[in-house]
Amino acid sequence: MKEIVVLSGKGGTGKTSITASLAVLAGSEAVVADCDVDAANMHLLMQPDFALSSEFYSGELAIIDQNACTQCGVCSEKCRFGAIPFINNIFIVNPLSCEGCGYCQKVCPTEAISMKSRKSGYVYISNTKVNSTMVHARLDIGAENSGKLVAKVKNEAKELAKQQNKSFVIVDGSPGIGCPVVSSLSGANYVVLVTEPTVSGLHDLERIYSVIKRFRINAGCIINKFDINPKKTDEIIEFLRKENITHLSNIPFDIRFTKAMTEAKTIVELETLPKYLIKDAWFKIKDELTNN
Amino acid sequence: MKIAFTSTGKTWDSIMDSRFGRTEFIVVYNEETKELEVVDNSAVKNEAHGAGTATAQKMYEIKPNVLITGNGPGETAATALKNLNMKIYVDAHNLTLEQAYESYRNGALTEI
Repeated sequence: MKEIVVLSGKGGTGKTSITASLAVLAGSEAVVADCDVDAANMHLLMQPDFALSSEFYSGELAIIDQNACTQCGVCSEKCRFGAIPFINNIFIVNPLSCEGCGYCQKVCPTEAISMKSRKSGYVYISNTKVNSTMVHARLDIGAENSGKLVAKVKNEAKELAKQQNKSFVIVDGSPGIGCPVVSSLSGANYVVLVTEPTVSGLHDLERIYSVIKRFRINAGCIINKFDINPKKTDEIIEFLRKENITHLSNIPFDIRFTKAMTEAKTIVELETLPKYLIKDAWFKIKDELTNN
Repeated sequence: MKIAFTSTGKTWDSIMDSRFGRTEFIVVYNEETKELEVVDNSAVKNEAHGAGTATAQKMYEIKPNVLITGNGPGETAATALKNLNMKIYVDAHNLTLEQAYESYRNGALTEI
């Protein structure tokens, strides 16, 4: 079983559109994991049935025992997030502002404050429209993605792939280079980079690649919308050559990406040039995985 | 020599954990006493953020001479580990601890 992680560094390059396309092409050969939990949207294209759900807990939340509270106000004063206002004659924790640092608990003279683990959302195991299994999550309002949540989604997906004897796990990674991205990279066999020929597209590609390089994972790159800036595309190709990253495909700007999306479809479900380009890229990725 | 492994289990037959920060266990083999010591890392695994540096902190407590792992620590954890006099060997993916130890002894693992 091989694990493929799709990353972009920059948002808006078409990462999720391409991941979902790969997931459709792989069909029941793959288990899909949406680790871009801050802005999870792959479910719009994969139409999962939310068959199984479980609560997810991450971080902590301060709770004040009003019977033990002497209303000295030290917690409210010390909280640098302004999370403990005085409302209706009691000090109360605003869960949206509380960062769960636990400082209030330390400074409270009467030990009236305790920390409890905070439910931050749900993890789902679904069947998709292409008859594959998908692991995804939904965060509660104000909750944030974390390395922990990514690890959970990914481990569930890997476990299911093993049980079902699947060849691939396809992971939609999160943008940036932070904790969730590092967590999505550990144990991966291949990274598909999706970029676009813009200044920030190349900048963020270089940045994310420095992280991938550290973990010594082979990578290939798809340049999406390559024709909107031929000069930048050349610069990206030069960067790929220099870093020994496989150039998987150049995909032209195509308004039908959006058209497909409004029909809750991936571009590979419409008869378009990108369909054949992405198909070709998928064969190349599979080749690279068998040759390594 | 004390050799630390990032591991998914507690014995020589356990499979290596590719992760550094969120590894399930840190298994330490003492070559002098031939004993295995197991450090449960589940508390760190459950941290929302900062798992890499928390595990690096544990390495300072264990003080192994050698660390054998998979992907290797990320940038922040690697910086934190710099002052620890410990060699790091990577790419021991999908091996049992025993196989990983053999590979290390045969010089088959990459040092970073």
